[in-house]
Amino acid sequence: MLWESSVLLQLALSGLLAGALYALLACGLNLVFGVMGVINLAHGELMIAGAFLSWLAYRYIDLHPLVVLPLVMGLLYGFGVLLQRWLIERLTGRDELTSLLVTYGLSILLMNLGLLLFSADFRSVPVLQGGFYLSSLDLVISKPRAVAGAISLALTLGIFGFLRYHRMGKAIRAVSEQPEVAMICGIDVAKVRQMTFGIAAAMAGAAGVLLSILYSFSPETGGEFLLKCFAVLVIGGMGNFLGALLGGLLLGLVEAFVGGFFNVQWAEAVAYLLLVLVLLLRPGGLLGQRHAVF
Amino acid sequence: MRYSDLGIGALLLFFSLLAPGFLNNYQLSFLLQVLMMVTLAQSWNLISGMTGYISFGHGVFFGVGAYTGALLLMGGAFWWVAILSAALLAAALALPLGLLTLRLRGPYFAIAMLGLNEVGRILANLWVDLTGGGDGIALSPLLSPVLATNYFSMLALAVLATLGMGWILRSRFGLELRAIREDEEAAEMLGIDTIRNKLIAFTASALLPGAAGAIYAFYTSFIDPSSVFLPALNVQMIVVVLLGGRGTLWGPVLGAVLLMSVQELTWAEFPALHLALLGLLMILLVLYLPDGLLGAWKRIGSRYG
Repeated sequence: MLWESSVLLQLALSGLLAGALYALLACGLNLVFGVMGVINLAHGELMIAGAFLSWLAYRYIDLHPLVVLPLVMGLLYGFGVLLQRWLIERLTGRDELTSLLVTYGLSILLMNLGLLLFSADFRSVPVLQGGFYLSSLDLVISKPRAVAGAISLALTLGIFGFLRYHRMGKAIRAVSEQPEVAMICGIDVAKVRQMTFGIAAAMAGAAGVLLSILYSFSPETGGEFLLKCFAVLVIGGMGNFLGALLGGLLLGLVEAFVGGFFNVQWAEAVAYLLLVLVLLLRPGGLLGQRHAVF
Repeated sequence: MRYSDLGIGALLLFFSLLAPGFLNNYQLSFLLQVLMMVTLAQSWNLISGMTGYISFGHGVFFGVGAYTGALLLMGGAFWWVAILSAALLAAALALPLGLLTLRLRGPYFAIAMLGLNEVGRILANLWVDLTGGGDGIALSPLLSPVLATNYFSMLALAVLATLGMGWILRSRFGLELRAIREDEEAAEMLGIDTIRNKLIAFTASALLPGAAGAIYAFYTSFIDPSSVFLPALNVQMIVVVLLGGRGTLWGPVLGAVLLMSVQELTWAEFPALHLALLGLLMILLVLYLPDGLLGAWKRIGSRYG
């Protein structure tokens, strides 16, 4: 019964939709790494900040998460710019150890502030219920999953297009490849870095809002997702934006199939297994790029 | 080790040996925890302070050691056999981890270690047959050694860790580790077997946390997943080294004494606030005092001395 094509299609579709959220989160993390060379261990906490903003808006002023989404992205963009200006900018040119320790400290600080403010209870924003029935394929896709997956994919592709075709996106790429040359060409490098971190934070915030309609979460959920993101990054290649997109979709797919054929607890461990396998066989990532590629 | 180091060490050791004579149980317990932190911080210092490869999950070795020690003691082993086995098992766990992640240069090691303490806690919760799950393990007072014995075991570990660090800092091995931290490519070009060195440092750095975990289990006589795979412990040992000065001999000792004392007097009672402040302290230290108190002391000394 498991091998029927409708079941396979169902698993594939819901896996891809779940993977799109990983991709959105991982692409932001990868953008910061590609441009600044900084691995932002607080990326998961930025996502949780988005999730709690969505929860607060839903709980206290009865706003729909999809309405709040652009607001949250704007807020986190601002927060990201400030973080870059005050904190991360000081790390450029210093060793990896320094930036890892600082963002680790930031992650602990933010997570525990979250625990102080909201406690360790799990919250959720149950706005979308039920599913879409696709009669032609005989499939049911749960509504939150379809909506969150579609928006994640659209945002990720949108940012990719921005980086590739927009003037500012090109400036970001220039700074990532040759900061000195970019500076000589009249690009305000510090500004571009602020914008980069802002975009990554906004992507994390959007992922958080979408997370809030999909799953229940607590301030400690960020760490879990960060680890999955790293699996995605290692699979796709560090600094490789498209790699992270494909890696995210792949992780979602594999998790869905393992969850469908074995059990859900195993699906949770799949990210680590994939990470280990890729490190063993192809440490440069499946696509084999080690540095910023957009 | 220089003569002044030996002098400081002898003085500290003298007081620590006499301490059970004039301290009450509460004070002795506190000193035991300081010594534990010295041991953990020196271990972290060996892998991360010396080579620059950051272990964000060193607490996992402490937790594994605690469970090994407690289970072996319940199984009827001598306490010192249990401690020794805990140390060896922790190192046996570190070796394959290192083989997998230390072959690669760059952030892979730090990433792989990041969630390890959590993974340890989750496994200890799930593996109910072995660990008793969330109910934990209670050691009968008849089995566990008394406080003074635990104190002296922990003292022995702290001395061993500090002596070992002193030896490594002066040895060719220590020089090679620092060469890896400064410029791994150049180190490799000079013929240093970087992978082997990193592996030895990492495996050795797991030994003492394993042993410390076992002694801690005897000392509290009750352990459960969240008390030995404690996030705070994981973070404390990093902050202690940063506070004192990474890659130095006395930095971890100074950091442990300072941090543990301040914590005992102030915010240890509020876990989330405690951790938030540790996170903030970590950021401030790395940005404004990158070589810790000892480094700052030396800089001031060389300016005015």
